[in-house]
Amino acid sequence: MLLGFSKRAAFLLAVGLAACGETGARAPSTPPDTTTVAPVSLAALGVGIDSSRYTAELAVRGSLAYTTTWGARTFGGVLNLGNRVSIWDVSGATPALVDSLIVPSASTLGDVAVTDDGAYLVVASEYSGGSIFVYSLANPRKPAFVSRFNNADTDHGVHTAEVGRVNGTLYAFLSIDPQNGDPARIVIVDLSNPASPREVFTKVVGTPFVHDTYVRDGVLFLALWNDGIQIWDIGGGGKGGTPASPVVLGSLATVGGEAHNVWWYHDATGAKRYAFVGQEGPGTVGSSSSGDIHVVDVSNFAKPLEVAFYHVDGAGTHNFSVDEKNGILYAAYYNAGVQALNVTGNLGSCRGDQQNIALVDGLAITRCDLRLMGRQVAYGLVAQTPRAYVWGAQYLSGSLYASDMLNGIWKLQALK
Amino acid sequence: MAQAIPVVTVASPTVGGQTYREAYLSQPVIMSRASFGDLRAIGTLDLEGLTLERGELSTGGYGEGFVDRRHPHAYVHELLVGDEARFSSRGAFSIFAGRGFAPFGSDDPMVRPFEKYPINHHLAQVLERVVAVAAVRYGPVIGEFGTFNGDEPLGPGAAPNFKRFGDSWSSRVTVLPAVGVELSGSFASVSSPEERLGHGLDQRKTSLVARYLVPAAGWSRYAFAEYAHTDDRNQGATVTTLSSMLVEAGVCRNGSTLAFRIERTDRPEEETLLDPFRTPRPETDLHNLGVSRWHAYTAAFSAPAIRSSWGSARPFAELELLRPRAGTPAGIFSAAGRYGSDHLYMASVGVRLSAGMPHDRMGRYGAALPAASSGMHDMGDMPMHHMDEPSHGGGSSCF
Repeated sequence: MLLGFSKRAAFLLAVGLAACGETGARAPSTPPDTTTVAPVSLAALGVGIDSSRYTAELAVRGSLAYTTTWGARTFGGVLNLGNRVSIWDVSGATPALVDSLIVPSASTLGDVAVTDDGAYLVVASEYSGGSIFVYSLANPRKPAFVSRFNNADTDHGVHTAEVGRVNGTLYAFLSIDPQNGDPARIVIVDLSNPASPREVFTKVVGTPFVHDTYVRDGVLFLALWNDGIQIWDIGGGGKGGTPASPVVLGSLATVGGEAHNVWWYHDATGAKRYAFVGQEGPGTVGSSSSGDIHVVDVSNFAKPLEVAFYHVDGAGTHNFSVDEKNGILYAAYYNAGVQALNVTGNLGSCRGDQQNIALVDGLAITRCDLRLMGRQVAYGLVAQTPRAYVWGAQYLSGSLYASDMLNGIWKLQALK
Repeated sequence: MAQAIPVVTVASPTVGGQTYREAYLSQPVIMSRASFGDLRAIGTLDLEGLTLERGELSTGGYGEGFVDRRHPHAYVHELLVGDEARFSSRGAFSIFAGRGFAPFGSDDPMVRPFEKYPINHHLAQVLERVVAVAAVRYGPVIGEFGTFNGDEPLGPGAAPNFKRFGDSWSSRVTVLPAVGVELSGSFASVSSPEERLGHGLDQRKTSLVARYLVPAAGWSRYAFAEYAHTDDRNQGATVTTLSSMLVEAGVCRNGSTLAFRIERTDRPEEETLLDPFRTPRPETDLHNLGVSRWHAYTAAFSAPAIRSSWGSARPFAELELLRPRAGTPAGIFSAAGRYGSDHLYMASVGVRLSAGMPHDRMGRYGAALPAASSGMHDMGDMPMHHMDEPSHGGGSSCF
């Protein structure tokens, strides 16, 4: 189903208005006039149901989606662990399950990623025996096991595994769980030979967790919970860093801490000014969540500055995906489904009545409230039956895919 | 004093709808007290780390990385040194420091009439912390204040995080309005108990306890009622509330004891590991899976002790019915999903073995010990917890 003309017009109006009046200021200043336009509902095209397990992260490439599973769920009287990766054909409106694979010795698979060349699938496993499993996608409908990487540094559990290429070499960036008094850490693994992954770096990070990383252009962003975010040069930051010897470029304690995930936004003009940081506060799986989206101006890596935020009452954000061409941030929002924000233009400039003052380490900072700025342009999977609890979202080629812990994988019509 | 409880437990159904039958040596402890001039030392060595490594079947129980099993306690359950002094004929003051109980809530379930711990253990006691406790007793009123480290033990042999000493505190007021009657109220502020390194959820805890113990040469009667409440808090805001109401009652005659316990307790649900009785420690984020509300009904019978020169052996049997329901918020917890039923049973038979002079209370130190309790050793027939040793004249041999 396509959005109605009036909804599209309203959205384009909002985008256009929000893009006007940019000042370039780093802190809230003279407002660009934005007009609040009622956000539209993203049409749900179909859902691939999985009620046997709780669905976790997703990775979509081409006409296939890979979803992981989490925790333990009883279905048909059988207790099923989160040890399955499902492969979905998403070429139609309704995702269709085409195959699945079981990851051994895992109780939760919190993350999945496809390498940029589409050649490999990387799956993170928790808890004891924490590993990454590498599968060949030579036949993308039937991933074939290639290798498992586990060592003492990863053994407590790999919460997430992001993959990225640095100066031509493929790496995985593993966020390791704290367990039994051992602190959280990051492990960087060289995947240039996927059959034989090799650890090149590890460091204790996170207070108390490190949940996710984001790698792009030789710069690594780490979400370090109550330490906020840290930015490392691993080959593209100009400070001589490498994946085996990162150099810290800067850090920022975001408001409220609990920094969970990051997306460094490269907009359609080529600007790389903002990083979006997800805050994961307390919640109850299936019914509630908390935590805001924080907008950090990273135009100077050495002095990142939080300039805006987005808050949903009674709900919190999780993973992101950004349609960078159109400037739309899609945020998984657990019990608030998916929230879509217009992130074009200057996010750190707003009227006084759109500002909020928060304290970080005793210092007051002024931020723009994206909701009051009318930046919310759409939402999906909200107040519907069946009830959704959305873990992850991915935008791809005009469609939005959402992994729903309770139901499986949704395909929605993305904004255009 | 030493004690141990060989016990066989059948839990049916429990996790996965399965029936489990297991045997343990539960609560193997060595308790000691000593004096060095004015200083007094209290020690309890708990060997459950050796005998209960997988945890003891205890449907509904939770905490410290276990669920539906009771975790083994720390080897150093208590080790404190302190001094107590009188400042008047009716008043006394004490300071104790070491590892032990924070002044909060009720006595350790180990010194109560049931072998199986209540579900509310982690709501109603704060223990195995590095504590400094000051207590003042004046007439029938006792006041206590303690400070300690918030982190729970990681395991039987794990040392506390000494760096966190002082990040948490608790206080308890106890009134003794009549012989055998004890009323107390307490409050605790516990910093990040489940995250050893800090930055986890904090707890605000309250407790109200009424305890009644009437010793007699013939019938002895025991009653205990408790309300315990814990708010899990994040950055000052309450995110989960857990409460418990529990009543115990028992009668004893000629060494035979019949006791009942009724409990309604909220349990936070957590993700489990490959072993469905274990949970990640710590959790990897601040979520839970919901709250379950448990109604538990327990009956226990203990036969008179069989005595010998080395100590005593007291056979017992316990039967427990547990009915879990969705709590608030329910989250994704489902009793039918986890257990296949919402009528769960546990039956246990065993023998309480003990030798030497037992501690009559566990969780209070120095001036905080009610006089009626601390003086029990000199009170002839007045029964005390596990006072089943012929050698010290505890004629009632009851609770």
